Amino acid sequence: MRKLLLGTTILGLGFGAAEAQTLNILMESVPDTRFVEELLPEFEEATGIDVELEVVNYAEMHTKLVPQLVSPTGSYDVIVVDFYWVGEFAKAGWLQPLDERIAADGFDTSVYFDSLQDLVGQVDGEQLMLPFYNYAMGLTYRRDLLEDPAEQAAFKEKYGIELRVPETWDEYLQQVEFFTRDTDGDGNNDFFGVVNQGLRPDPIAMEWSNYLFANGGRFHDENWQPMLDSAEAVAAVEDYKRNLEEFGPLGAASFGFDEAFNVAAQGKAYSYLTYNMFRTAYDDPSQSAVVDMVEIVAVPNGGLNGAWGWAIPNSSPDPDAAWTFLQWVESPEIAKKRALLGGSPTRSDVFADEEVLATYPYYPALENLLATSHNFPVFTYTPQFVEVLGRELSLAVTGEKTAEEAMQTANAELEALLKQDGKL
Amino acid sequence: MAATLAARDRRFGQLMAAPGLAALLLVIVFPILFTLYTSAFDFTLINPRHDTFVGLDHYARAFGLAEFGNALRVTLWFVVAVVVLEFAVGFLVALMLNAVERGKAVYYAILLCPLLINPVVVGLIWRMFLHPELGIANYVLGLVGLGPVNWLGDPTNAFWTLVAVDIWHQVSFMIVLLLAGLASLPKEPYEAARMEGAGTLACFWHVTLPLMRPVILVTLLIRLIFAVRTYDLVYIMTRGGPGQATDLVSYFIYRQAFVGLNIGQASALAVLLLLIVLVLTAWLYRHMRSLV
Repeated sequence: MRKLLLGTTILGLGFGAAEAQTLNILMESVPDTRFVEELLPEFEEATGIDVELEVVNYAEMHTKLVPQLVSPTGSYDVIVVDFYWVGEFAKAGWLQPLDERIAADGFDTSVYFDSLQDLVGQVDGEQLMLPFYNYAMGLTYRRDLLEDPAEQAAFKEKYGIELRVPETWDEYLQQVEFFTRDTDGDGNNDFFGVVNQGLRPDPIAMEWSNYLFANGGRFHDENWQPMLDSAEAVAAVEDYKRNLEEFGPLGAASFGFDEAFNVAAQGKAYSYLTYNMFRTAYDDPSQSAVVDMVEIVAVPNGGLNGAWGWAIPNSSPDPDAAWTFLQWVESPEIAKKRALLGGSPTRSDVFADEEVLATYPYYPALENLLATSHNFPVFTYTPQFVEVLGRELSLAVTGEKTAEEAMQTANAELEALLKQDGKL
Repeated sequence: MAATLAARDRRFGQLMAAPGLAALLLVIVFPILFTLYTSAFDFTLINPRHDTFVGLDHYARAFGLAEFGNALRVTLWFVVAVVVLEFAVGFLVALMLNAVERGKAVYYAILLCPLLINPVVVGLIWRMFLHPELGIANYVLGLVGLGPVNWLGDPTNAFWTLVAVDIWHQVSFMIVLLLAGLASLPKEPYEAARMEGAGTLACFWHVTLPLMRPVILVTLLIRLIFAVRTYDLVYIMTRGGPGQATDLVSYFIYRQAFVGLNIGQASALAVLLLLIVLVLTAWLYRHMRSLV
């Protein structure tokens, strides 16, 4: 911290007299961005550097970033990078390696979870990013229904096993079936065992990845040989399709995560497999009718990992000030404050903090999500692969292809993209 | 003396037109030529240089892309559906409005509202309206004992939902243009036709339609070109899904450029699309003129 202050004093001497420095940062409009925004006055006070956050929707980010990254001098000093752009950004050489700065300032990166360092930290041994927040996916379910003695008795009678927090995938699928109901007797189901996000490309691709892992499947083996034509992958597509068609609301094949979340938050579904940041949103009465009724747990066999990283682009107009900001925003104090506001941590010390645990008793469950999660294939053409996977899954869900056909195409195209990238 | 005056006039005219022409050259001709040039190179955003010449490879590959073929097919149906339906609805409303004597401004104001809304906003609003569980559309249908309809989650429905939303958004464009044409028609031919004993339908077929031909031609052309470019609605409402039911070609080219970062390939696709639109426009123009 002293080094940070010293550094900023020097910066202050250098620039403070002339005019106030401004850092421009492009971020996505998500809760974790809001938490950073709330704390910014502290940074501005400590360093005298103004921060301009440009907050946009996810859909716009990549399109906005790429032209800035390609040009020699862009307009963003700091950027945030979604894990599936990492391969592409690294390959194109758009990000500044942080290793020298980390060594010079003694910044401790050992507190980050290994799975997050792999995803949005290091690439081929080089630290290109600092993990910002994680959005590992988990299973959100209605705790009130699960703990209801009447439901428990009915479930046991029907399936011969206890109704409990699902520990196996089959157990979860049975619960999905069990809770799907026609409560008003009009012949249509109006309470659903699950709500899916079937929109192309990333909502369906990300959600289905959990089904793949749960079925024991993988995207590729250790040598990047694709494994999507496996029986496990096909079974995962069939599970997904059955859940969406038989146990989910009408139109789930077109839902993005906001639409799916709204169905769950309006109390119309037993479960929703989603990004862990929604756990906090369930307890917000302004957007949820199921406050204190929902809990999150790791998907059996481990779900999909996801995260954003902070990075300094090569086109950054002021990389030194950018690094000052990164050190501040990822310092233990600020990382903890962000977590206390409801952020999704990436540091083990924040997860272990007593104050954080007292505020959010479900954080150990989130830590478990991270510990058991699996990564999506990260390579240069990940965004294209997400498109391919999304398209094929959507074709399978709407019945235009069989699960086998869809997975064979996805497998072949993954192989082609990996070859193009030199991984195979 | 007269010749020099004419020459001077011509020179002055050229001088006045020069800035406009220069601007057109800069923002239209140059990008098109650059696109053509780029389409012959392996130009990606990861390696944004014209250093690998590939000739017509991108064009050859375009024809092998099943997704591109599908996108062209979907786009063709989409364009035909929206242009025909919007023209039919638009002409009908324009004819009705043309007969209105009072309060035209009010109708205009109401009709123009959708046209003023950004397509992204239109998409977002309709996505909310059409949410099968929580949206107002299915709620209202439910009140009269219909539905629920799976607006965007079924391939066929999603395509027609997209067409319907586009009509809602763009039909007033047709109305306004056609209405302007109708209002400028001379009264005399109608009077003459009436004198000869022509009824309302005969007047429409033999007087209104022939007189309106140039306006109809322009209206259809503009709408057609705009419809081929449709991108925002798909991007917001369906992302080309479910399956590939609404994968319009502009959205496909966008993905090649900004998701695949393959600008060379995307340029080739864009050039092909430009050629298709040019041919279509030329054909429509000739066909309509030959109908005199």
